Amino acid sequence: MNEKIAAKDFNCVGKGVERVDTLEKLTGGALYAGDMILPGMLHAKVLKSPHAKARIVRIDTQKALEVPGVRAILTGDELDYRVGLYLVDKYILAKGVVRHYGEAVAAVAADTLIAAEKAVGLIDVEYEVMEPVLDPVKGLEKDAPLVHPDLGKYDYIKDVFTPVPGTNIANHTKLRKGDVEKGFSEADFILERTYTNPNVQHVPMETHGSIGQWQPGDRLTVWTSAQSPFTVRNLLSHSFKIPHNNIRVIIPYVGGGFGGKAGIHLEPLVLCLSRKAGGRPVKLIATREEEFSMLPCRSGLVYTIKTGVKKDGKIVAQQMIMRWDSGAYADYAVNVTRASGYSAAGPYEIPNAWIDAYTVYTNKPFGTAYRGFGHVEFSWGIERHMDLAARTLGIDPLEFRKINALKPDSITLTGEKITADSGNVTKCMESVAKAINYGGLTEEEKAREKKTGLRIGKSVVALHKAPAMPPYTGTAVILKMNEDGSVIANFSLTEIGAGTYTSVAQILAEELRFPISRVKISIDNDTEKEPYDWQTVASKGLLLSGNAAILAARDLLAKAYDVAGQVLKANVVDLNHDEEKVFVKHHPSHSVSWRSMAVGYAFPNGNAIGGPLIGVGRYVAQGLTNLDKETGQGLPALDWTYGAHGLVAEVNDRTGEFNVIKVASAFDVGKAINPISVRGQSIGGMLQGLGTAMCEGYIYSAEGVLLNPSFTDNKIPTSLDLPEEVVSIAVETPQLDGPFGARGVGEHSMIAVCGALGNAIQNASGADLTHMPIRQEDVWRALQQVKKG
Amino acid sequence: MLKEFCYLSPATREELLDMLAEKGSNGRLYAGGTDLLVDIRGGKAPPQYIIDIKKIEKYHILSWGELEGLSIGAAVTCSDVAGSAVVKAHYPLLAEAAEHLGSPQLRNRATIIGNLCTASPCADMAPMLLCLDASAEISSKEGGTRRIPLKELFTGVKKTSCAPHEVVERIIVPPGMADSVGGYEKLKRIKGHDLALASVAVAKKGDRIRVAIGSCAVTPVLLPDFPIDTPAAVIAAEAERSIMPIDDIRASRDYRLFMVKVYIERLMAALQHAQ
Amino acid sequence: MKIRLTINNSIVEREVQDHKTLLHFLRDDLGFTGTKEGCGAGECGACTVIMNGKAVNSCLVLAREADGAVIETVEGEAADGKLSPLQQAFQKHHAVQCGFCTPGMLMSIKALLRINTKPGEEQIRKAIEGNFCRCTGYKQIVEAVLDVTGQLDKQEELIHE
Repeated sequence: MNEKIAAKDFNCVGKGVERVDTLEKLTGGALYAGDMILPGMLHAKVLKSPHAKARIVRIDTQKALEVPGVRAILTGDELDYRVGLYLVDKYILAKGVVRHYGEAVAAVAADTLIAAEKAVGLIDVEYEVMEPVLDPVKGLEKDAPLVHPDLGKYDYIKDVFTPVPGTNIANHTKLRKGDVEKGFSEADFILERTYTNPNVQHVPMETHGSIGQWQPGDRLTVWTSAQSPFTVRNLLSHSFKIPHNNIRVIIPYVGGGFGGKAGIHLEPLVLCLSRKAGGRPVKLIATREEEFSMLPCRSGLVYTIKTGVKKDGKIVAQQMIMRWDSGAYADYAVNVTRASGYSAAGPYEIPNAWIDAYTVYTNKPFGTAYRGFGHVEFSWGIERHMDLAARTLGIDPLEFRKINALKPDSITLTGEKITADSGNVTKCMESVAKAINYGGLTEEEKAREKKTGLRIGKSVVALHKAPAMPPYTGTAVILKMNEDGSVIANFSLTEIGAGTYTSVAQILAEELRFPISRVKISIDNDTEKEPYDWQTVASKGLLLSGNAAILAARDLLAKAYDVAGQVLKANVVDLNHDEEKVFVKHHPSHSVSWRSMAVGYAFPNGNAIGGPLIGVGRYVAQGLTNLDKETGQGLPALDWTYGAHGLVAEVNDRTGEFNVIKVASAFDVGKAINPISVRGQSIGGMLQGLGTAMCEGYIYSAEGVLLNPSFTDNKIPTSLDLPEEVVSIAVETPQLDGPFGARGVGEHSMIAVCGALGNAIQNASGADLTHMPIRQEDVWRALQQVKKG
Repeated sequence: MLKEFCYLSPATREELLDMLAEKGSNGRLYAGGTDLLVDIRGGKAPPQYIIDIKKIEKYHILSWGELEGLSIGAAVTCSDVAGSAVVKAHYPLLAEAAEHLGSPQLRNRATIIGNLCTASPCADMAPMLLCLDASAEISSKEGGTRRIPLKELFTGVKKTSCAPHEVVERIIVPPGMADSVGGYEKLKRIKGHDLALASVAVAKKGDRIRVAIGSCAVTPVLLPDFPIDTPAAVIAAEAERSIMPIDDIRASRDYRLFMVKVYIERLMAALQHAQ
Repeated sequence: MKIRLTINNSIVEREVQDHKTLLHFLRDDLGFTGTKEGCGAGECGACTVIMNGKAVNSCLVLAREADGAVIETVEGEAADGKLSPLQQAFQKHHAVQCGFCTPGMLMSIKALLRINTKPGEEQIRKAIEGNFCRCTGYKQIVEAVLDVTGQLDKQEELIHE
């Protein structure tokens, strides 16, 4: 796909054109799930568990049924369906037991929201509270209470996952490369430490919301704020045993997803309520509190890293043990374990590696996909650990990283060989180091220290990620020409805010040689109209859908040339085109306009040839393999996007107060299709990463009750929390099989920010932190340790 | 709102007092709503009535007089105070403190008196008003009008000495504390809007220094007056004796105490520097 | 109880329940779905509208008390089928990603620009402190406002290494 075209020859690719999906958003006309009204629509409310683990002794809905306007009430007893992306372990409503605080126990559909709320308040549930498992390390202990005693009976994808029945292990991913014990025996230093991350929420500004309609004859339609219409359809089909053709999934505008909407969430419930209500559509929009507790979050992680290094700075062996606190249901967490398992060491070469990554069930809101898919969490540990190793050896942390960075001929953890075309993490590191004047303080910074009394510290960290996806992931784009010669593209990658639609429009415009004003992307997704796409996750959309778009454009051009050849009585090889017409290269006045061919060409006497010009492009990931279950070896990576951050922070080494002065971020994007969009992703992801780093995290009581289920105590960065200076850098080592050389970057900007902050704070003040988030109080506590030690 | 209640909006003060006498125990006073509506949304049972005071014209009065000082009516918002030329001229510390409450949208609605009457220990307007010697004017149909030092308004966590049939109509800040210098420091979790995890207000006028601390006891705490040359460490020690910060999900007792002392030091140092 | 108010320069009269918030009145009763509910508790600002000239969280305003008020929402921003200069600046600077915060964000900024025609970066950031955005990181929003107020001397760009 990568035609080596010089940058100055691009018409559209590489330019910061305005986005194609934002006009409606600016005028208030864009309809999100919560804005939609359907005839006869009912409103739903959910009763949630106040306990982390309890047996449901009795549910009495009698009083609730008597509330005027109530049309349907459901409890878990009536719904025998299990749902699960990879491990089918979850009922639509809790059945027999509740496994986490906030779990949906019963649901009401009523004429008005207020009637539904009233009814929910009148449902009487008797619980027998049981002892919850709230910690993944404890959850792994021999006699830990089991979250899923029936784990052995669940269906799961056997080729990929390894649950361990009789334990809380939903998945155990293994990776064995080389010989770790031998490696450790050769090491000059061995460093072992454990790093932790709490649960964190995606906090999309739009909460989850779905409208479901189950009509007689088992015909299902759902309008939903989701990232993956075909996954929703597929899982509904599996769970309800209904053919795909009878299920229609429609996705309107989506107000952010970040992975939280990647799977299936409220859709089965609203559909079941609709069925019970005689087929009327039922709408359920989560409140913010429900978003935090009933909907899933990001798994927590306890990560123990043991690294053997030689005096010259080379890592010889690394053992990594991940215990993912993934809550009550497996959802995506088992795959996060797998995907971060094979990537767990960061962008460094580890000749001898041993990884055990466990998805541990606990009685908490469960972990789903979250931007970075495990990489934000493990990067905290890895980047802190790399600094620890560097410090122990007396080598500068940036130098240490460069010594060990993956480079051409390096072998990854899974046995893949990196080449010069994979991407350049060293260049990313060097460019951010330059941007923050790494290696000392500038005159300005020295003056600042003097003036404020705060101490400035700098860090450089690195990251990598490949899309976590099945090796056979595919997608398609359909491109249709309108009567006026413009085109519309249909594909079911969803636009959740990342800007991929605009990049695809640019790719189409470039390939067709049309102005972008003549390229429209159909924004809504409808499984009956758009062709299949696997999911909008994993930073694979630009690459796979971009390639499919190029192929669709070429297909449409070929069909048009075929017609034009006949009309012009010319060889197809002698034809060329511009934005108005197809013409004979050596007789440009011999031409036929796009308009005249768009929906079929009519000769002057009325005879017709051709037909509507429609291009179809399909693209599937090529050359990837499953991972061996014992050794973790294989080729899982569609592409690697490398990156780095340079961070400058100042710390008050008495109080723990700190400010992030500057963050420079660099990503090897291959080709920045839209530089303004790339910058937007870079800054937006960086700030979301700072949120994880500085202020986000679930806090539970000893009983497993979520103590901060709202913005009052679950803070996210505001406009005042942005660093003083942000720099966004694109390194462009072309991805040979990427559209115009491009790779994805949707997730990467948030991956290593936490480590960057932790390292900069330690460099500034000595405060040594191994857990997150880093609040100023945590820095203060760590400083007390420094003073003691 | 998914909770039902009746909305009443008396047009005059007399109407309000009558309503309170009759319905006060089943009702809640409604000004900015930034606490009340959040409470109703998150709570179990809503009040039967909410009584909107904003139609009463005199409650919107924010005025200054040489004899009385600053008069803040019940409907005066934090934005009003923060942006008021009169407040900035005579009580700049109060204008500054008002900027610390919430976000711009919240400040446009939250009233000074509402913030005080919600009586959260972390009320942003309480510490500085305590330092400035504010008093509260409370009225009821039967009881007429009484005035109490602001300190006596706060009786516990979200509890005031106001009865259900009473309304705080004005806060008065006396002329004696006009032109005070000092400041307000607030411990937050982010740089953006957050409630106070601990807060300190310092106001110096003439030969007195007044210090009040928020979010570190069941009510905001006003320390006894200090003479102007009191070392910060002495004030900090008195603060430590007078407050009882707790461990909660927001911050630990130790850190709250530590930061209160740091803020006292900083504010005192700023006062020194200003001299 | 009937209320009568001005919304985006049109007078509207409706029966409304006592407990209905202005947010739900705008969305459900009038069909102005541009203004969004992000938290219902005055924290996130997605519901920001301008009421009598001031930016407020409409989730914490009762419809009943908006009787006689002048309300401005995102739907009134474009005029005669054309985007306002502020909306155009947002388009140019990619200040919109998922779009959910955008209506509220525009109203907060509009309120700011009425009282300050050339706000500095710090003032802009303070004005939108109560509008959460999870997508953009706020920078390109600030740049859009600096641009539309004629203050963007140098546009920071993606650096190509």
